[in-house]
Amino acid sequence: MQRFPRACVGGAFALLLGGAHAFSADGPPNTDSAYSPQGADTCLGCHNNATVTGLFRTKHARPNDPRGPFGHGGLQCEACHGPGGAHVKAGGGPPAGMVVFGPKSPATVAQQNANCLGCHQSNAAHDWASSAHAGSNVACASCHTLHAAKDPVLSAVTQIEVCTACHQAQHTDLFKPSHHPLREGKMACTSCHSPHGSTAPAQLVKNTVNETCTTCHAEYRGPFLWEHQPVTEDCSNCHEPHGSAQPALLKMRTPFLCQTCHEGAGHPSIANTPQGLPGGMPSAYLLAGGCINCHSQVHGSNHPSGRALMR
Amino acid sequence: MKTLSWQIHTILTLALAAVLAVEPAAADTPTTDTSGWKCTQCPFLDGYESEVEAGVLSASGANASYGRYTGIDHSGTYADAGGSGQMRSDDGSYASYGLERLGLASRDGYVEGGREGRYDLRLSYDGQPTRLYDTAVTPFQGAGASLSLPASWVAAGSTTAMTQLKSSLAPVDIGDNRRTVALLGRFFVSPSWTVFGEFRRQEKDGTGLTSGSFLTEAVQLPQPIDYITDSFEGGVAWSGRRASFRLTYSGSWFEDNSDTLTFANPYLPIVPGSTEGRLALPPNNTLQQLAAAGNVQLPWFATTLSYTASLGTLKQNVDFLPDSTLPGSAVPPSGSLDGDVHLSHYALGLASRPLPNLNVRGNATYDGRDDQTTPIAIAYIVTDTFPGGTAVTPRYGEDRVRLDGGADYALARWARIGVGGTFDDNHYSPGQVVTNTQDAESWGRGTITPIAALSFTLKFGNGLRKASSFDAAALPPAENPLVRDFNYAPRDRVFSTLTGSWVASPALTWTVEGFLAKDDYRSSPLGLQSSHEQRTSTTLTWTPRDTLSAYIDAGYQRLFMLQNGYTGADTTPWLVADTERFWNMSIGAQWVPQERWTLKLDYLLAPSYDDTDSTLGGLQQAFPQNWTKLDSARLDVAYRWTAALQIHFRYAHEEYNSRDWSLDGVGPSTVPNLLALGLQPYHDNVNLFGLTVHYQFGNAGADAPKSK
Repeated sequence: MQRFPRACVGGAFALLLGGAHAFSADGPPNTDSAYSPQGADTCLGCHNNATVTGLFRTKHARPNDPRGPFGHGGLQCEACHGPGGAHVKAGGGPPAGMVVFGPKSPATVAQQNANCLGCHQSNAAHDWASSAHAGSNVACASCHTLHAAKDPVLSAVTQIEVCTACHQAQHTDLFKPSHHPLREGKMACTSCHSPHGSTAPAQLVKNTVNETCTTCHAEYRGPFLWEHQPVTEDCSNCHEPHGSAQPALLKMRTPFLCQTCHEGAGHPSIANTPQGLPGGMPSAYLLAGGCINCHSQVHGSNHPSGRALMR
Repeated sequence: MKTLSWQIHTILTLALAAVLAVEPAAADTPTTDTSGWKCTQCPFLDGYESEVEAGVLSASGANASYGRYTGIDHSGTYADAGGSGQMRSDDGSYASYGLERLGLASRDGYVEGGREGRYDLRLSYDGQPTRLYDTAVTPFQGAGASLSLPASWVAAGSTTAMTQLKSSLAPVDIGDNRRTVALLGRFFVSPSWTVFGEFRRQEKDGTGLTSGSFLTEAVQLPQPIDYITDSFEGGVAWSGRRASFRLTYSGSWFEDNSDTLTFANPYLPIVPGSTEGRLALPPNNTLQQLAAAGNVQLPWFATTLSYTASLGTLKQNVDFLPDSTLPGSAVPPSGSLDGDVHLSHYALGLASRPLPNLNVRGNATYDGRDDQTTPIAIAYIVTDTFPGGTAVTPRYGEDRVRLDGGADYALARWARIGVGGTFDDNHYSPGQVVTNTQDAESWGRGTITPIAALSFTLKFGNGLRKASSFDAAALPPAENPLVRDFNYAPRDRVFSTLTGSWVASPALTWTVEGFLAKDDYRSSPLGLQSSHEQRTSTTLTWTPRDTLSAYIDAGYQRLFMLQNGYTGADTTPWLVADTERFWNMSIGAQWVPQERWTLKLDYLLAPSYDDTDSTLGGLQQAFPQNWTKLDSARLDVAYRWTAALQIHFRYAHEEYNSRDWSLDGVGPSTVPNLLALGLQPYHDNVNLFGLTVHYQFGNAGADAPKSK
């Protein structure tokens, strides 16, 4: 079961060793004249309102944190917005040479993100470059509101509004009869997904779909004495995690879901019709739990007699 | 997996490489002299600020349907309390807290503190109620691991003949409470090095839904839930300006305090002695993983390389239960499974900009699930009724290699094009009906931005999944060899997406999305034949001024699936077609008519419909339509009495109705061979009133910035 090309690991190792030391320590083209005379004090002389100063309730504005822009020696506002010397000399106006964030910014997404990634690529966003969001030209500021005292995307209650502004199909999923508790504020998109990129499918927070799901649903992790192959392979073979019209986030209703794989001689192959509803000949294959009425251990059984997942 | 040694060596080597790659901290220091930048006008928090709230919620018409995740599951009055606050001192010490919904089972909160740039600690609690059904009734008595029937119970061959059934039924609530406590600590050894650790305990208890059978007769049962999952994740992270690295150990220990559920047989025993059934509940298990991850920015073409290597083991070794409740049944062949699954995950990601207008990115990922558990030959008893023979426990494993990537080229500032795709190569362990599937998907897209802030993207693509030859000999006995398990089956896929967004002004934004996909399982004689998906949605937001904002959004989805099969010796397959449709429409506004008042109004309508048609012998029959309808309105009014005191009034009305043919009218004795719990579809009609008082105290420095 080991077909992973070791060369890949070796290559990463070589690049890491060889590449990291090859880098020059050149910083950005900073010159004293390019920056404002007094840093944030200069900026706040004009930009002094609540929509700006909310920043001072956030982790970006911690004067004792040497990692942050307001730490000792930090470039303060200009750490993110770029040198403001020319903007100050011009008495305001278009911030030439600076970066303004947002959809109407004259700066490209790459230019905007470069300022964020200058600090964050090496930690929070170390998979960003190869992520789907980066590939779709998403700006950091499309999701993050840096000057708000509480960035909405960092709260479970408000995060879904940010994510579903683009992922609108998932917005509809929230209102399906069977759903995870996102619109109730008890889960966030980031409970499962890593928007800054990951090496898992769909940018999941864990390596695989199953590892992600069993973080909370550890009872289905197994290994069981009797296993159910599609369960061990991928929870999303049967479940639709964003929402479903069927119970338990199932993709289809039992018995039809089960019959996409099981049509052996006997009851698995029976055509289930409305004749099996109350008023006809009520059928245990169709009503209540359907197949689950007997095969309740569909996620696996640790019972010696659990071969058919009935114990 | 022959040995873990080379993989562990790989991870440790990567760790060493990161250490060697440490850059001088001075490289991060800007060259500009900022010694004169005193930040005297910066309104850092100095002191503390806090807001607490307390009040009541009054609910009428609430039930499990409404309270599923909120905890407001019955009519009555609930306390409503919470608060938030933070403090900071000049030396960089800080603390904050947040508490929400303290009067409800969905309460959560945190307290954190630390010293800027030195360390931080965070303790959090999260309550998560899940109310599934309050319509269940059962004749079973007892709690925990054993369910018995009343002494007066008269067993019968069918539910309709159970004379004591109706008089024995008692309500039982199906649902659980999940409580999670987490303690996170981070120590910033230097600007580059961080040591971190998080311990998390999750407790889940309540009553779930399960079922048991005695060959041809079944019974739905309340299942005890008493789980504890402890997890720990800790490690060290290093970050430089051009590289980062993270070494993490994580462990998760799941414990089920109810390993078994024994239940009395309410039916006449099919064989003598079959008076009791026993289910195995989820066994304890342990997952441990060691992972190394990081990235490095290469000096060519703005290239970033990211990598991850993770190794883990998943173990389970709970003692087997006896193989049957039947008197004199055989002893299991061994005491426990000694389950041992090795999990491995390796990935490389590469992103580069070889030309100013060209971005390329790609990922190569390997995931291995290597089940080292020894298969066991077991003589099993069918549903505590009769010996079924001997079978060998199957073990399943996969090797999965996934390649994905794409390239985007900016033709001009207003136009971008891109291509990309994915390739999945899955190899299955021996004994499965296919040994290999390959799924290739490719796409192209174009984005135009004719004017600033107006953007449209059209993406289209197709996919093809192939499978190795089908090995009918690997099918379970009596399985129809014409059925292709849908996750193995060859599949053709086409899809397209259109997205648009327009920021017409800072006050007006509009987004739209449309998606079409079609899957065909052309090589499946039986089973899933095709599925189609359509999705459209749009959102308009309008914020004409700081004191007024409004939105309207709408979405529609249609999902269609078609499958077929044979009943016995029929030569004409039956067909089942299922069509699901969903809508959501919402509108809302927030208005601050004057400084003291804030009004917020939201309305939501979300219906869904599910139509199932079956065709047997040329006769098409429709199941009754399943539907749901969520109709919800909410009004929030806030009045600022003084600078520190606010009063909030909340009114919410929700009406939820549903039909479900698998539950409608299905009582405990509706099905002769199924003693059901009588679960009914969800309905609620709730009015919720809330009144809370909010009080702010402390220093609100950011609200009153100093002027120069």
